[in-house]
Amino acid sequence: MNGAQHILEAFHQHSINTVFGYPGGCIMPLYDALVDDVDVEHVLCRHEQACALAADGYARASGELGVCIATSGPGATNLITGVANAHRDSIPMLVITGQVPSGLIGTDAFQETDVLGMTLGIVKHSYLVESADELPAIMEEAIELAQSGRPGPVWIDIPKDVLLTEAQALPSKPTTSIETSAPDLFTAIDMLRAARKPLLYSGGGISLAHAEEAFRQFAAASGLPSVVTLKGIGNGGKRDPNHLGMLGMHGSRAANRAVDECDLLLVIGARLDDRATGKLDTFAPNARIIHIDADAAEINKLKAADLSLRGDLTSILYGLTGELKKHPLAIEEWRKQCRTWHATGGFNTADNEEPLAPITGPAFVRQLSRIAPDDTIIACDVGQHQMWVAQYYQFDHPRHHLSSGGLGTMGFGLPAAIGAQFANPASTVINVAGDGSFMMNAQELATIRRYNLPLKLIILDNQCLGMVRQQQELFYNNRESHIDLNDNPDFVAMARAFDIPALHIERTDQIRRGIETILAYDGPMLLHVAIAREENVWPIVKPGASNREMIDESQRTRKANKEHVA
Amino acid sequence: MNPTTHPNNAGIYAIACTMTHEAAAMERLCQVIRIRGFRIVQMAVDAAGENLNIALTLEGTRPIAMLKTQLEKLHTVGEVVLQAPMAKTKTA
Repeated sequence: MNGAQHILEAFHQHSINTVFGYPGGCIMPLYDALVDDVDVEHVLCRHEQACALAADGYARASGELGVCIATSGPGATNLITGVANAHRDSIPMLVITGQVPSGLIGTDAFQETDVLGMTLGIVKHSYLVESADELPAIMEEAIELAQSGRPGPVWIDIPKDVLLTEAQALPSKPTTSIETSAPDLFTAIDMLRAARKPLLYSGGGISLAHAEEAFRQFAAASGLPSVVTLKGIGNGGKRDPNHLGMLGMHGSRAANRAVDECDLLLVIGARLDDRATGKLDTFAPNARIIHIDADAAEINKLKAADLSLRGDLTSILYGLTGELKKHPLAIEEWRKQCRTWHATGGFNTADNEEPLAPITGPAFVRQLSRIAPDDTIIACDVGQHQMWVAQYYQFDHPRHHLSSGGLGTMGFGLPAAIGAQFANPASTVINVAGDGSFMMNAQELATIRRYNLPLKLIILDNQCLGMVRQQQELFYNNRESHIDLNDNPDFVAMARAFDIPALHIERTDQIRRGIETILAYDGPMLLHVAIAREENVWPIVKPGASNREMIDESQRTRKANKEHVA
Repeated sequence: MNPTTHPNNAGIYAIACTMTHEAAAMERLCQVIRIRGFRIVQMAVDAAGENLNIALTLEGTRPIAMLKTQLEKLHTVGEVVLQAPMAKTKTA
């Protein structure tokens, strides 16, 4: 077997049967090998960035490894945003690129870039393969590494001659499992029992560790009021009575208030990032902190923990659950208080009863949540619509909510939805996009058509970059700068040009029919939803401010704005 | 904090690092040191078979323990040893 055939052999060995890619000069030997392979489905996207983002969506929705392939030079550089996106959100991904032949590296050859050098900061690890004989071992190590411990993208850059050379497989290096410290469960239990106002704070680490069931059992046994990060949405399911919603910049008042008043914060699979904590000095000021994570580097990174448990989340959570089942926590007053806050300070914006009224983002998302099946996968883009989905859609599982958290990549949603649909062919998959984000990877309408994916596409179109406009209004004295998109294309006609049927709605009484129509259609369909330009995401915390300083619509005045510009 | 600015309250640290000698090993190490807020004051590298032994003197205002855990995450890093705190050499 040559190097290219060894790559496919590794795919077979690891049951990798779907990859996303785009061919080109230096990766041609691998594409030549694909001609004879019937076990690996290669999905041809229309841009390499979409290949990486589709692989990301595939991995998020399935919990399995996402794989993307591109050629050298521009093929590799186009992948970078998608790989960085996976890196920031710890998504298991294998990236394979062709490189110019070994003898031409460093000669400024056609389509040569220093891929290894330019990607160091956005990968868990990367390789430049120097001989065909080492390729099989590198493939094994890379596939293992991408999925172990804290997952992440691993990039293999392979010179064209290596792909063509017959390879004798060298023995793989033994992989060593990551050592974990012995979790001090009893100390954690003692701290929980001593607390009067303990709060559970979970993030994307739960699903990354495949610990969803263990988490739910722990949440039920502990009865702790809980908040989630953007990536933790769905951790507790949609019927968790103690759930207070998302915390942070666009979090609920209930969630932020509970964090502010708790006396013990149990952080599980979350990294205390700035969008969640706001100003760190004032975050959870009265709380002792227990931090549970798979990654030692996250412990004490931003906020010191009073106790840290590092290791396999499932084992730790089951250990804690066992102790709490024997003697439940006595925190009924605190639970009751949190439920009261949730009833008055959750995301409970009333539906608009006026049938001819313009559609609002929250009202649309609430209706979508009511109508779509429980196992629907929503892939968001980035912006106001992303926050409305986070606030108003009731997710039953974290793998149903695909959102670019760390990097905030506009253009993520459409290719991620493609990946999710390949991972779950029988599920309803919906891309909820804004008009700005949709245009960043709109070429992938061709991919949807080519594979006849039954994706549902929803564009909440406010004819501007709404999140930027909102911050310019609130924090820059309403000085709008380059956010106007009132020359958007006719999205309905655009979809139809790709042979995808489309509908336009703009009034409240059209919401239900619009959603039901696209969900019932047997194939891809687009719903274009016109919403008001001036609509904002509420509440909001100014970047860098304390989560106590939430601004809501009642403060939408010039005076209030000026105060917050200071 | 801007990682490229090092005010006079920056600490000076010595660390010893062992890592696999493979493509871009040193670049990877230096990249993490920079992005996590430290500046390299001195560096000595000794190639020993498949390994690199690296002695570093670093300057920075962030906790050195945070950098140590980030370096230990690198796949090719075998060991990072934080040596005794060094006397501050910069003056106000």
